Amino acid sequence: MDTTIIRYLRESVALLPRENSGPANEFYRRLFELAPEVRRMFTREIGLQAKKFSDMLAWVIANLDHPDELSSEMRALGARHGGYGVTIDQYAPIGSALMWMFQHTLGDRFTPEMEEAWLEFYAFISFEMERGAREAPATGTHP
Amino acid sequence: MPLNTAVVSHHLDQALNSPLFRNADRQARFLRFVVDSALHSPQSAIKEFDIGIAVYDRRSDYDPRMDPIVRVEAARLRARLREYYEVTPPEHVRIEIPKGRYVPVFISVEGDPAPVNTDLSVLVPPFRCLSADPEDQNFCDGLTEEVLHKLAQIPRLRVITESVAARLGQIDGPKPHYLLEASVRRGGAEIRLVLHLMELTGGGSTLFSNIYQATINNVFTTQEHLADEIRRDISSALHVGERVTRASTS
Repeated sequence: MDTTIIRYLRESVALLPRENSGPANEFYRRLFELAPEVRRMFTREIGLQAKKFSDMLAWVIANLDHPDELSSEMRALGARHGGYGVTIDQYAPIGSALMWMFQHTLGDRFTPEMEEAWLEFYAFISFEMERGAREAPATGTHP
Repeated sequence: MPLNTAVVSHHLDQALNSPLFRNADRQARFLRFVVDSALHSPQSAIKEFDIGIAVYDRRSDYDPRMDPIVRVEAARLRARLREYYEVTPPEHVRIEIPKGRYVPVFISVEGDPAPVNTDLSVLVPPFRCLSADPEDQNFCDGLTEEVLHKLAQIPRLRVITESVAARLGQIDGPKPHYLLEASVRRGGAEIRLVLHLMELTGGGSTLFSNIYQATINNVFTTQEHLADEIRRDISSALHVGERVTRASTS
């Protein structure tokens, strides 16, 4: 992956508060505003879900230099999401909520270059997730 | 076949009927909206706001700064088009949506086709950064990546990176036909890139040389614009037949 993109991704995540899952909670709040229909897919308490999201974000950032592992993990995640009933169209509000989480949390510190890096990166991971969903049988469980 | 509305529309229909687009309803609508807009109102800009309203059912008080759904989807659509063309090489035209804009370009992939057995190859080492600043080095690395990606889209041109060339050397593979070298300097927000395309199989003469200048407003957009210019020039210099054009509406 492009080293410039990796740098901006890491810089933006380093600016997020570490002490709690506040940004992740904001992500889910925004996602349910943009796409209320996905709310029913989450049976777990949102605080726990937010913690899981934060852990995944940290793992992704730690593995930006390992594209094969990243692809493999994103495909597995996509396969699970396919099983929950996530459609290709729903990757749009998920991406929008992710960008909004950074904008809302970081304000002007979230630069246009950082946004561009996240747009590129989200296109990559969401595409890998789509691919994972396409190649996996449906399971029907919940996140 | 000359590019016109009918050719582009037919190609669009083919793409949207492919498995990659069939289950991606909004992405398909997005692509149809921008292509139709470009074909039928070629002088008009296509705004993020208009796509939000027409494709993503946003209300008239929608604010793209607060809801970046169109920018998210544009990046995903570019990735989907790249994948589509990897799976289904285009026969007459390829649609691209350059970064930083929503107006598509229609690229003729016919030109003057060379016989299959006259494929050309070009070795592209990392561009040299004439500065010790790590920021400039990152820009050079990113620009090299972008140029490699763009050159790889030229029909009948094999693009070889330095690491691959090293491996080819170990197995005594054929030499690439050409070497593409570039150096990059920055002064403030101004970038100056000097590029040379040289023959490796002939007398080593310089086939093409140019200087590119750009002002960095957004790093990625600048890299993509420079890479687009370089792709067009290399394609033309090697006569591998690629023409970027806006389809006429005739």
